[in-house]
Amino acid sequence: MNVGATRDLRADNALILPAWIGLTTIALALSVFMGVVDIPPVDVIAALVGKGSAQARSIIIDIRLPRVLVGMVVGVHFAVAGFILQSITRNPLADPSIMGISQGATLAVGVFLLFSVYIHNPGSNTLAELPLAWLPSIAIIGGLLAGLAIYAMAFGRNLGPIRLTICGVAVGALLHAVAIGLIAGWGSARIEILLEWLSGSLYARSWDHLRYLLPFTVVGLAMLPLIRRPLTMLRFDSSVSRSFGLSHKLHFSLALALACCLAASAVGVAGPIVFVGLIVPHLARFLAGRRFALVLPFTLALGIVVVTLGDLVGRLAGGAEEIPIGVVTAIFGAPLLLVLLRRMA
Amino acid sequence: MSLACSKISIDYGQRRALFDFDFALQPGRIHGLIGPNGSGKSTALQALAGLIKPASGSVELDGRQITTMSRREIARRLAFLPQQPSAPEEMTVEQLARQARFAHVGLLRGYGPHDEKLIAWALESTGVSDFAGRGLQELSGGERQRAWISAALAQEARILLLDEPTSYLDIGYQVEILDLIHRLSRDRGVSIVMAIHDINQAISVCDRISLLQGGRLVFDDEPRALAANNLVETVFRIRGRFVEITPGSPPHFDVELARWSDGARDH
Repeated sequence: MNVGATRDLRADNALILPAWIGLTTIALALSVFMGVVDIPPVDVIAALVGKGSAQARSIIIDIRLPRVLVGMVVGVHFAVAGFILQSITRNPLADPSIMGISQGATLAVGVFLLFSVYIHNPGSNTLAELPLAWLPSIAIIGGLLAGLAIYAMAFGRNLGPIRLTICGVAVGALLHAVAIGLIAGWGSARIEILLEWLSGSLYARSWDHLRYLLPFTVVGLAMLPLIRRPLTMLRFDSSVSRSFGLSHKLHFSLALALACCLAASAVGVAGPIVFVGLIVPHLARFLAGRRFALVLPFTLALGIVVVTLGDLVGRLAGGAEEIPIGVVTAIFGAPLLLVLLRRMA
Repeated sequence: MSLACSKISIDYGQRRALFDFDFALQPGRIHGLIGPNGSGKSTALQALAGLIKPASGSVELDGRQITTMSRREIARRLAFLPQQPSAPEEMTVEQLARQARFAHVGLLRGYGPHDEKLIAWALESTGVSDFAGRGLQELSGGERQRAWISAALAQEARILLLDEPTSYLDIGYQVEILDLIHRLSRDRGVSIVMAIHDINQAISVCDRISLLQGGRLVFDDEPRALAANNLVETVFRIRGRFVEITPGSPPHFDVELARWSDGARDH
């Protein structure tokens, strides 16, 4: 037996995990310390412990910190959702935006806003407050409906990974078109904030956003230990995983539902941030290599790092007119995907 | 350990793939399923593994209807190995055997010393422990097949259902796998059902043979009885005869290759 090899891996693990916790902390710290308004590090620390000028405190505590934390949480949501979808569909290209889940969430939020807010505020130039508390839950309904369509296609017609993905793309494109049509029909001032949201943005995300999203994060992550083994088994042929003792349909459905809830609730708060769910699991797998118990922890850490650093780049590069995180991830994600595909081939 | 079914029929949509199939596994023995392509061998195996529900009739595992058992209960008794199974690309031989402990450890329980011992034993007895840390993708066909069989052993299943375990392997690996299967049945008392294409290998390795034709069972007896009739010729639509190469050894089917016999036949 290769006891020696196993021990080596354990030793590696002991080093790798603290290294990643360190990197995640650095990414978070950078995002809090750096920004469009230049605040000296000493003042940032002072603000964090409740001292310093009122202006610095307002920028750090009320603006930057919640924004960074929301980014961190949605990063985890999208990355884990992508990891789950890639495992259960056995397709390396699966991701919440590709499978139509983000679009389902977007459409649900669009329809909800139309009926709840805008019907009561017919004037096209007044900008109504978005009903924050409802957004994650409403988005989840849309995401789950899209997930149901995926489930029906996977089992009803017994599609293979490739055809399943193509159907997901088609469903997503249709839902996206309807959502865009709906939003375009609203006119002027309302469009602006919705378009910002639609491109995936962390602009002006507050403690309220974090408060309404966090319950879904806690419940979702608490499910992970339960689905860890099934997720590995779902990557076999279903006849193999069932022969190993897995209730295939049950665990496929649970994992799919979890991925939908995580991705959709994040869409509800930050809009569809594309490519995070697609790229992060690949990066994690690439870095973990054979140690595949580490893929999931890496996915979590990289989800945080990618979104917080991506948002930092967007904030600093754009100046006053910042670049939304969804645009940053798309710009960096596409070439990165090509590199990964080449390395895998 | 018992696995049996009587008069099960399987439908794929409108098409009936298996008609009134009867089967009874003898403990510790090797049961071969032979028949032309599309005759229902794989379908019968999957039905016996509880993977497809019969349109009529039922499969009984240890005296219980298999449809009333959970997948984990089934997995603790029986392992099914499909033809050319695929695994996650980065998975190693040892990790595969670990996955097979799922039926025992479940969703949350950690792997105890008993599990570790069984995994090591399974790798050892299939001769794959030397490359336990290597990826399945890097292995030769024969090594990979042994790795999959070691997973079935780690699962502690007393019944092994194998779908054409020797297909796509060269003759050297075919003999290696058949030897392993034979040892498992004789030394460990594992009961084996396998679909197999080579008639002569089936006759020499199996204790009992079922012959399928168009989804119907046309023969179910000891291998020697198969030599006593011309079913092999009619079912596979070939010409040939059974010969005894050395006294006491199982009969050998000597096939006439059509291209040669065409010219030889008197016209």
